[in-house]
Amino acid sequence: MILHPGMLALLAASLIIAAMALGGAGLGYQILRRWDPTSGSELQLILERRTTLVSTLLAWAFGLEFLSLFLFAGVADSLHSQFVGAMCAAGVLNASATGYPLLILKMANVLLAGSWLIVNHADTRATDYPLIRAKYVTLLVAAPLLIAEAVLLVLFAGALKPHVITSCCGSLFSSQTETMVGEMAPFPFRPMAIVFLVSLGAVLAAGWHTWKTAKGGILLALLSFAAFIVVLASILSWVGPYVYELPTHHCPFCLLQREYHFIGYPLYGLLFAATVSGMGAGILVPAKRKPSLKMIVPGLQRSCAAASVVLYGLLFLLIAALVATSNLKLL
Amino acid sequence: MALLERQRRLLDFTLSSLLRRKGKNGALVAVYALTIFLLASVLFFGESLRREASIILADAPSLVVQRMMAGRHELIPDSYADQVRSIRGVRSVKPRLWGYYYDPLSGANYTIVTSEERKNGTIAIGSGVASTRKLAVDDVLPLRASKGDTMLFTVAEVLSEESALASADLMIVTPADFREFFAMPAGFATDLIVDSGNPRECSTIAEKIAIRLPDTRPIVREEILRTYDAIFGLRSGMVLAVLACAVIAFLIFAWDKATGLSAEERAEIGILKAVGWDTSDVLLMKFWEGTVISVTAFLAGTALAYAHVFLAGASLFEPALKGWSVIYPAFRPTPVFDPAQIVTIFFLTVVPYIAVTVVPVWRAATIDPDAVMRT
Amino acid sequence: MIELRDVTKIYNRSRANEFVALRNVSFGVPERAVTVLKGPSGSGKTTLLTLMGAMARPTSGRVLLSGREITSLPERFLAGIRRSTFGFVFQQLNLIRGLSALENVLIPAYPTDASYASIRGRGRELLARMNVSHREHERVERLSGGEAQRVAIARALINDPQAVIADEPTAHLDTKLSREFMEIVAAMKQDGRTLIIASHDPIVYESPVVDAVLPLRDGMIAEEHR
Repeated sequence: MILHPGMLALLAASLIIAAMALGGAGLGYQILRRWDPTSGSELQLILERRTTLVSTLLAWAFGLEFLSLFLFAGVADSLHSQFVGAMCAAGVLNASATGYPLLILKMANVLLAGSWLIVNHADTRATDYPLIRAKYVTLLVAAPLLIAEAVLLVLFAGALKPHVITSCCGSLFSSQTETMVGEMAPFPFRPMAIVFLVSLGAVLAAGWHTWKTAKGGILLALLSFAAFIVVLASILSWVGPYVYELPTHHCPFCLLQREYHFIGYPLYGLLFAATVSGMGAGILVPAKRKPSLKMIVPGLQRSCAAASVVLYGLLFLLIAALVATSNLKLL
Repeated sequence: MALLERQRRLLDFTLSSLLRRKGKNGALVAVYALTIFLLASVLFFGESLRREASIILADAPSLVVQRMMAGRHELIPDSYADQVRSIRGVRSVKPRLWGYYYDPLSGANYTIVTSEERKNGTIAIGSGVASTRKLAVDDVLPLRASKGDTMLFTVAEVLSEESALASADLMIVTPADFREFFAMPAGFATDLIVDSGNPRECSTIAEKIAIRLPDTRPIVREEILRTYDAIFGLRSGMVLAVLACAVIAFLIFAWDKATGLSAEERAEIGILKAVGWDTSDVLLMKFWEGTVISVTAFLAGTALAYAHVFLAGASLFEPALKGWSVIYPAFRPTPVFDPAQIVTIFFLTVVPYIAVTVVPVWRAATIDPDAVMRT
Repeated sequence: MIELRDVTKIYNRSRANEFVALRNVSFGVPERAVTVLKGPSGSGKTTLLTLMGAMARPTSGRVLLSGREITSLPERFLAGIRRSTFGFVFQQLNLIRGLSALENVLIPAYPTDASYASIRGRGRELLARMNVSHREHERVERLSGGEAQRVAIARALINDPQAVIADEPTAHLDTKLSREFMEIVAAMKQDGRTLIIASHDPIVYESPVVDAVLPLRDGMIAEEHR
């Protein structure tokens, strides 16, 4: 067990998020069971007011989830000095079997949370709660995931023992290892850069199209998710080496360190925000079938698409700037 | 823009209603700021100790070999150096001379180290030595040598204060002067410094030394750093765990304040709802209220903590967190500012504050709009 | 403008303190006219005002505003309607103590998208029209009864509502001030607003500006009708 202040903060945040999600899901379940929009009873009014509480709770919980992803990365990074062999977060996460599953679950939860907030926003724009069932059923699925995340974090914190000898990012993200991330790292620079350009080009074009016409939401969502994976792979393959100015250094975590001006935070922040916006445009497509949302959804889709175009654009500019100012020449 | 205007107006309204209830909100901010102050002091202090230790150790050699006799540190013969030199991976081995000198005049212990680059008869001293003995460059410092005679040293330099803890008590002389002063026999050194070329091989080399020279103790710098890190982290973690009680007490207080709305406040929210504010508008106003309170308390708490730790020498926590406070009574932590600490404090105080006030705020915001008409 | 169809409002339903405030009321409020709800206290006047002013929902029956059903709209939409369509003058005035007259007037405009400058300008203009400009920065608890009511009326008009709803507006005013209030009512009617006033004060319901009087008794419309 490591009693590190940052770890305590992370545990507190995670427990609060889990409690809020659990509360939200519980209220959501009650609301689903007794919901009757045709009734003028006081009960219905109380239930409607509770939907505001659920929205508020989850807006906070999911906002915190987004922030805590970065806190998690930062804490894992700052713990590296306590582990033999660890030089950044990569080694710390590797020090316990729950480290990487936790990171992946956290990333998935952030994407899920962002999507839920978009659907929730759409629902509050209509006068008849058209998405209430979809919303709260999803919540019943999402709450266990957030609770699982809190449990994994407790296990992770409990299993961390400073004397464990772990591998550093150099051995984790090098060509010799056979882990999944290890497989990604040796992706040759040039083809990976081309895939990156094609993928970002496609997502920007699809985003532009949806922005202007409110059509092609599903395609934009798929391309956004693809771009998410491609950008992560590109960071491993060539963005990292450009930042470190070392063709053999592929670590995605060292970007978070002070030596590299904490550049990882804006980089990953933009990536997550852009992906959620792009996915939002697709997730809203089924909502178009609801009569009360027919007029509202296209506007929301266009806002999502506009946000994704701007955010992916900024992400592209940021990466381009990193490449342009680097002393390394790979391509 | 319209959205911003709206936020600005709600913020304006929030500020004026906060000011109308100075007493209640002032008490909340004070307790809030005190909690943040305690937490932030612990974190700032722990971090500055860690920094201090790593500054000291940054210049320390990556591997040091000491000879042990009967469990105590002994002088190491030069022949040991040759044995270590023959280990594969060792690039160079240097004997090192250092020791302590008790100065009866100032009643303090000074650390004496050697440097080949100095001139015989001269000395470089730390800022602590300079101030206790009131010395400046070119002054003469008489010191009482081991055999009872007095040796005179000319002060050649006063060391800068990058880390007060590391250099305050330092004196630097030449190896020849050192041996004469302490009457140390030739062919022996205090310990050996091993340079391995590749720092990652230090632990392997250390193991080999321990096998080949069983009466020695190899000390790896990384090991010391890690131990310090873990100890400082653990200590401040433990103090934080104790402070959790303070945070919880504050949260109960905040929850109580948020739940126990006065009749006047309820009536006000009722009026707002009646004239056309929506629940979400009231929630937004309450959000701004929470933000103003949190930001005020946060700034006040962290600023006070900063002053407490770095200007007042953390007088409240010194005994709890510092191991060497006995030796260095005038320890002044080097100011460090780490964004991660600010984020940590935020997550440990503001986030729980938000969490406990969500439900009471929602309750207040869902007052019936027709309540003011039905009374 | 507002139509109620077979509206019933029951408070604390299926509880010991159940109370039927309105029973099967059907009624239409004419546009650009002054309608007075007359009746003793407890006759359901206030409840009727809350239903017409989109403050509460009926237990059964329907409420239509300019032909649009608002009966089962979520509260957040009702709040929007309340803000943009209605101005309210309450019996207790309900000004917020500690704030100045002008600040009180601006409150209903805070959640709208209008610019700060424009609502301030409008607030000043309304206070001037109500002859209380000179008291603009005075805290409301220092105003006289008549001044306070003028501030309350200015607040009701800040979002330029179609209709103004007043609950017992003359209850705390002497005869002179009550007559002055009716003059303001006449002026508002002149501006093309719909007025709905609940009152059992003869100065109000016998005033020549009143177009319709709806007598209420025990939550139902009483027989005598003008």
